[in-house]
Amino acid sequence: MPAAAEPLQSATEAAGGRVHALANLLLSRGPYARAFENLILGLIIFSVASIGVESIPGLPPWVLQTLHVAEIVTVAIFTFEYLLRIVAAPNKLGFIFSYQGLIDLLAIAPFYLTGLDVRWVRALRLLRLLRVLKLQTHILESVVEQRTRELAEKNAELEKAQAQLKAELEVARSLQLAILPATFPTRPGCEGAARMIPATTMGGDFYDYIELPDGQVGLVIADVSGHGVPAAFFMAVARTNLRELAIRHTDPGECLAQTNDALCAQNPLDLFVTVFYCILEPQTGVLRYANGGHNPPYVRRATGAVESLSGAGGLVLGAMPGATYPTHTMQLLRGDRLVLYTDGVTEAFNPAAELYGAQRLADEVHVHGSGTPAALVERICQSVTNFAGTAPQSDDITLTVLTWGAP
Amino acid sequence: MNVRIEALAEATYVTPEGRLDFDAAPGFQESLERLLGAGGKAPAALIIDGAALEYVSSAGLRAVLLGARAAQKAGVPFALCALQPAVREVFNLSGFSRIIAVHPDRATALAQAQPGRA
Repeated sequence: MPAAAEPLQSATEAAGGRVHALANLLLSRGPYARAFENLILGLIIFSVASIGVESIPGLPPWVLQTLHVAEIVTVAIFTFEYLLRIVAAPNKLGFIFSYQGLIDLLAIAPFYLTGLDVRWVRALRLLRLLRVLKLQTHILESVVEQRTRELAEKNAELEKAQAQLKAELEVARSLQLAILPATFPTRPGCEGAARMIPATTMGGDFYDYIELPDGQVGLVIADVSGHGVPAAFFMAVARTNLRELAIRHTDPGECLAQTNDALCAQNPLDLFVTVFYCILEPQTGVLRYANGGHNPPYVRRATGAVESLSGAGGLVLGAMPGATYPTHTMQLLRGDRLVLYTDGVTEAFNPAAELYGAQRLADEVHVHGSGTPAALVERICQSVTNFAGTAPQSDDITLTVLTWGAP
Repeated sequence: MNVRIEALAEATYVTPEGRLDFDAAPGFQESLERLLGAGGKAPAALIIDGAALEYVSSAGLRAVLLGARAAQKAGVPFALCALQPAVREVFNLSGFSRIIAVHPDRATALAQAQPGRA
């Protein structure tokens, strides 16, 4: 009768499920399992000790009786544990014939084997000592397992946090790159190109083109001290300040002085930025510039001669309020090229720890400067990358090239 | 980087060796701050000897600037001396040689030691 058999079967299943649940509760992890383990350990120690006590000759009968009752209870609990372990074991025969399984069995078997020689039984009961060792191993293993699991969890958390941080830094990095102008403002006869190769960590280089009144164009190249997130923030602050102040102060030196004071007033980390700022008058080729501690740019004359814009500069911006910056003027001639760069170019190292240096840059500008600005930018970047080889790039590499009066 | 410190009666000489770059700057800055920090007796003057200094990055400049500021705060004369040409160039270019005293050698630095202006 299937109708009747079914509830019976499910009842058996339910009972089996309960036994399994009990085995899980008492033999795997958690507070119950720990308590059960301690109980077993206590009983083993007690039963081993009782063997010793029993062997004392001339004990009063009530002691022997009490020990016997205790023995019955102990063996009952051991038997219960043994059966539970068989139930819980995925491979039951495997467990029964395993080293641990056999010890467990031998520890309880003498109790059931009546009619054996008493001394032999006692010898067998000493096997319980092995159980103590086994339990210790068991406890140790479970502790190691737990620590390993905790470690794995912590590692996973760390990895997740690191991945998140990395993703956020990536976003910050792309935002930073996005505020760099993509193209030079359109002015007849002027052509500009720029490139920044960011270092592995966030850097603080930037360049900027600022459209000024009367069609003049401001050119900025700058390098914030250090790198990482603080440098990137300072870079954003410096760029914004410079941009705003450039509209109001059309003298480059005055603009840098104002920017310096503004930066000093909001510089909790004592960072600073080197800035070269020049203003080009596209109709006449007159270039006015001021330098706040930056590497002097090069001018490549149409003849191929390379000069450095080395007019006296001032202090880096952000280091001390009240610093002043002299403004210099120079006349660009038709076909001249202006090469602005940061020290990521000249201070690129090769694997032999040699610097790329200003001379190599000047040579590149001299030899390859007659083409388009984009070509020269590309050429110099390639030269620096080739020079550095496998040496890691520790600083941003930033370059901007402008030609005036290009045919 | 290795930083050699000689604490003498007339001045404490700090000699950074090698490259004062982004990685070395925090340690160097810490050395200066420890020399100027509370607890110990403040040095009569703090003189950075650049004889063994091969390279200074902008982060290194910042460490020097912060050291100069801390010295000024503590009323301790602060100066640089014996810079190698390339390093001297960095100090000139950045304008730091205008706000931090730079001398050719220890003797001159000691003779001219006065509280820093940075």
